[in-house]
Order: sequence, then C-alpha cells, then structure tokens
Amino acid sequence: MTALSIAIPTGRLQADAISLLEAVGLAAAEVGDDRRLLVDLPGGIRVLKAKPTDLLTYVERGTADVGVSGRDMILEQGRDVYELLDLRFGVCRAVLACPEDRAKVLWQPGRALRVATKYPRLTMRFFEEHERPVEIVVLSGSVELAPQVGLADGIVDLVMTGRTLRENRLREVAEIARSTARLVVNRGSLSRSAEVADFIARIERYLSRQRERSIHA
Amino acid sequence: MRIRTSGRARWRQVPVGVRDQTAEIVAARRGLEARLLAVFRRWGYEEVATPVLEYLDTFLHGAGPGVSDRLLKLIDTGGEVLALRPEMTVPLARFAATRLLPAGHAPVRLAYVAEVFRGQERGSGRMREFTQAGVELIGDGRLYADVEVIALAAEVLGVAGVGDAVISIGHAGFLRGVLSTLPAEAAEAARDVLYRRAFADLPGLAPAGPAREALRTLPTLRGDSALDRAGRLAAGAESRQALEALRAVLDGIEAHRHRVRVEVDLGLIRDFDYYSGVVFEAHGARGGMPLLGGGRYDGLLARFGHSAPATGFAIGLERMLDAAGVRGDRRRPVAVVFAQDAYPAAVGVTSRLREAGEAVVIAPEAPGIEDVACLVRVSADRLLVVAGDQEIETSDAEVTAAVEAAVGRAR
Repeated sequence: MTALSIAIPTGRLQADAISLLEAVGLAAAEVGDDRRLLVDLPGGIRVLKAKPTDLLTYVERGTADVGVSGRDMILEQGRDVYELLDLRFGVCRAVLACPEDRAKVLWQPGRALRVATKYPRLTMRFFEEHERPVEIVVLSGSVELAPQVGLADGIVDLVMTGRTLRENRLREVAEIARSTARLVVNRGSLSRSAEVADFIARIERYLSRQRERSIHA
Repeated sequence: MRIRTSGRARWRQVPVGVRDQTAEIVAARRGLEARLLAVFRRWGYEEVATPVLEYLDTFLHGAGPGVSDRLLKLIDTGGEVLALRPEMTVPLARFAATRLLPAGHAPVRLAYVAEVFRGQERGSGRMREFTQAGVELIGDGRLYADVEVIALAAEVLGVAGVGDAVISIGHAGFLRGVLSTLPAEAAEAARDVLYRRAFADLPGLAPAGPAREALRTLPTLRGDSALDRAGRLAAGAESRQALEALRAVLDGIEAHRHRVRVEVDLGLIRDFDYYSGVVFEAHGARGGMPLLGGGRYDGLLARFGHSAPATGFAIGLERMLDAAGVRGDRRRPVAVVFAQDAYPAAVGVTSRLREAGEAVVIAPEAPGIEDVACLVRVSADRLLVVAGDQEIETSDAEVTAAVEAAVGRAR
C-alpha cells in the first residue's frame, strides 16, 4: 500500500528535488541514477519521475499526492493544484528577448510582434496586460533559433545565467515572470492523508532551518 | 490554408471531452440518480429542470465575466449568444428569483439532475459534458440551513457508497475578513494569488502582522485545532464571525450523527465567486477532484432581482460513480425462443412475462443468443425454461414462476 506518492520532474530540477527528499529523511539518493520511472522507497513511499510539462497532470489527477514543479509551468498550465511552498531552488526568469539589433524596433507602436515560445499562455497574458498585439509561434524547445532565422521577431523563454541568450546574440527586453521550484499538492490528498500533511510539515521545517542558516551565515 | 481531404475521417470520432455511454454505464448512473433523488425527496427537495441553453448574459450576470472562457457557446439565429449551462446554481437562482420567489414561495427546496457543459482546455483530460445532481435551499439564511445541506451531503455520500469520503468545511467570510485588514492593492493581489491557489506566493504580499500570519498558514488551517489556531489570527470582525458560524455549524452537524468525517479547512476556496458564507467540499479516498461541493451564496439571487439568502451543493455524478466503483445492475433480458409454428404461443408467453415486469426479447430458435438471464424455449407441445445447465419443464400457467426461479439463480 502506497502511503505517499511524490512526483519529481526530470531535467533541470531533478537533482535538487532529490536532494530535498534526502534532506527530509527519505532514502532517495539512488532515485536519480535509476532508469525506472517509478521507484518505491521504504515506508510505502513511491517516487514518480515525470516530464516537467506532464508533472502537474499527475498531481492534479491525484496519481501523485505531491510534486515538485517550476512556477513557470504552474503559471503556464493553470492546473487545479495547491501551490503550497516556495522551495527556493531552480531560480530562473521568463523573459522576452530579441536579437540585439532589433531591440528598439520591438516596442515601436503599431508593430505586431511575432514571438516564439514554449509558454503560449504566459506570453499571451503578458502581451494582454501590456495591450500589445502579438502573434505566438509555439515551439517545443530551442526557441532561440527562431528569431535568428526569421521565424519570429523575439522569444519568450526561461533564463538562468543568460548565457544561451548571449551566445545566440539575443538581448532581454522585459521580464515576464520569476520562477522557483514549488511544492504542489493534490487538493484531495491534503485533506485525507496524514502522511501528506507530515511530509509537507517536514519540508516546511527544513526550509525554515535553511532560512535561518542563510540569515546567520 | 490546407483543406482537409477525406482519408482520416472525423465522423467516426466524437469531439474532445464527450463520450458515448454503454448500457452498463448508463444503468449505473441512472441507479445512482434514482437513489440520490429519493434521498432529496425524503428531505423535502423537489426535482425541477431548467433549459440546457441559456443566454450567455445570464451566466455572466450570475457568475461574473471570468466564467466566459469556460463556457461552450452557440450563436442563435437572431445573432444572440447562447451558452450551454456549466452548472445549475445560476440557472436555478434565475428561475427562483424571477418566478418562484415573486410567487410567494419561500423557502424553496429544489433538486436536480442535469448534464452540464464546460469548455475545458484541450488535452487536460477533463470532460466537457458531465452530470451534476444537487440541491438548492433558497430563502433561508439561518445556520440551520447550512447544517441541513451539509448533513444532506453526508447522507448522500453514504447512499452513493463513498462513506469513507471526507467533508471539508470553510467560510468565505474568514478570508474576506483577513483581506479587509490589508491595503486595497495587497488584498487584490492576494485574491488573485488565492484564485490560482498559489499559497506559496501569499506571504510576500502582506506587511508583517496577524493578517500575514493567517495568509501564510491558511493551507494548514485545517483539522481539529484549526478553529482555535485561526481564532488567534482572526483579523477583522468578519473573520471572527465566520469562525463562530463554523463552530455552530459543526455542532449542528454533530447532532446528525453521520459516519462521514467532517473537518474544518479554512483554506478551502470554491471556484465560483458568488459564494458568501459557509462553503464545503467532499473528497473521496482516491482522486484529486472533489466529489461534491457547494456552500452559501447570499448575494446571487439579488443579482436576478429578488434578494434572498441561499445555499446548496452539486455532486459530480461520474466522479462519484468512479469513487464508489459502482457497476450498473443492468437487467439482462429473458429470451423467448420459438420453434417453427410456435410463434403465437411464444407471443403469449412473452406478453405474460412482460406484464410480470420481466425484460423479454423474442426470437426464432437459432444459435447465437447470448447475454440473457435465461431462455424460454417454446415449441408446439413443450415449454422449457433453461438457465445455465438447468432445465425446468413447465406449463403455460406456471411459466412466470419458473422464469423467476431460474432468473433468481442466474442473477
């Protein structure tokens, strides 16, 4: 019987997510090396490894009680899950960027921009708020390519260090959202499961210990 | 534009989010519907119906402009925009405020079973057509009314076979009170964050103080000690009144002695913005979405021109069936098969069985009749009831009894 199922994202947040599980006392060290997508840990704890874009589906549907997801995905997908804690790793920003030589053109009034992105909803919301017409080209990755070959005027994408932007001669024009990893919880799991409440409390305690340490350091 | 040419035909598919329903599924759903309506009737709620289609304006007027994105719309012949109902509370509020209450009926207890429609995001895996059953108690603003509908919800969960569900109770006034102590801008931002249920973003929005602490701990303000813990954080008179109301409602529910667990959850936020007081949801032992949900919406009727307090709840019927694991008790028919020249005799037997309430199909004797409760073989000189490997020789007069016995064993 599974007491608690935890969804962690593959990709850039996976290592930190696993460290977090270890920090709150789960024997999760080997989860990362394991090629299995479903790993059972002692104590009836089950870890699902899901693609970041799919993770919220598992949590919303209750096939995972809790999960670790970037705020960018949560904003983009608007799923019906509780976003409970800011885990403070996976810091990045969603930005609008365009080729260096076109940065000025971008904001010329009356110009309808074409923007390539993996985040169509986030992008649309940004341009709606700024009352700017926009045409969105949805791509599934490496969006930096699009403006260089004329598929789009600019991109909306996540940046961490800004290196990818620089190497593709793109310049940030506006910040659209800040993102960190979040602990998301299924609405039902929160009310029915003591294990879930206990797991959340452990993470909360760990986060506040960490915060104290960073203040005193 | 690329025009789709034949080949992959769409006509064999149904649109995203709707589905066909087999006899088993329909039988299970109808069975649950009948049990629910019987409970509603015993509690004094009468079944009513409203149209599947309403003017778009009705829903915007009742539930706010935000609901528009979630509606399936049609253009009427005169150019007006119509929408398929996404739920029943707004249509029933319109019905009650424009017709029932002006006629002097109050309070009214209404029940319904209805197909509802939502324009869900493609690929979200959610249904766009599903069934809701529920009640509305309109014209009674006392806490007894809140107790009544929650106790009824508890009974419904038992009747539906999900007695292990948990009912969470919250109060829209608690959060309203907390937010009223914040600067207007912060309150607005907090409302937006809460609508997304992004509790993680809350602490940063408020200046330090009890309101901030209440927002920070909101998702954990649940369970036995929640009311006491919330009492220490209750900023604003409305928050304190909300907690008192919840205490009284819990006491009232206690008197009903239901088996279903009821717990406080002050972080409970319902999707529709017309909720004004006590709100509640029930979750099953599995699955993420609530099985039923509802609460008090005292401002909604006034929007339709006749002010009246009201409360109620809606059950997601398909989710409830899933959670209960109910299979439909579809009645397999009795088959009357006849040998050549025995058709008149077979028709006689068939009519008598149908009058006795059996489901009967009639066909000439041939291989291939399956999935029946039993076979009645009629030939010119013999009447044989066959169930499994058992055969009962019978007479015309006793055929009903013989079938009953055989079917009893087969079922």
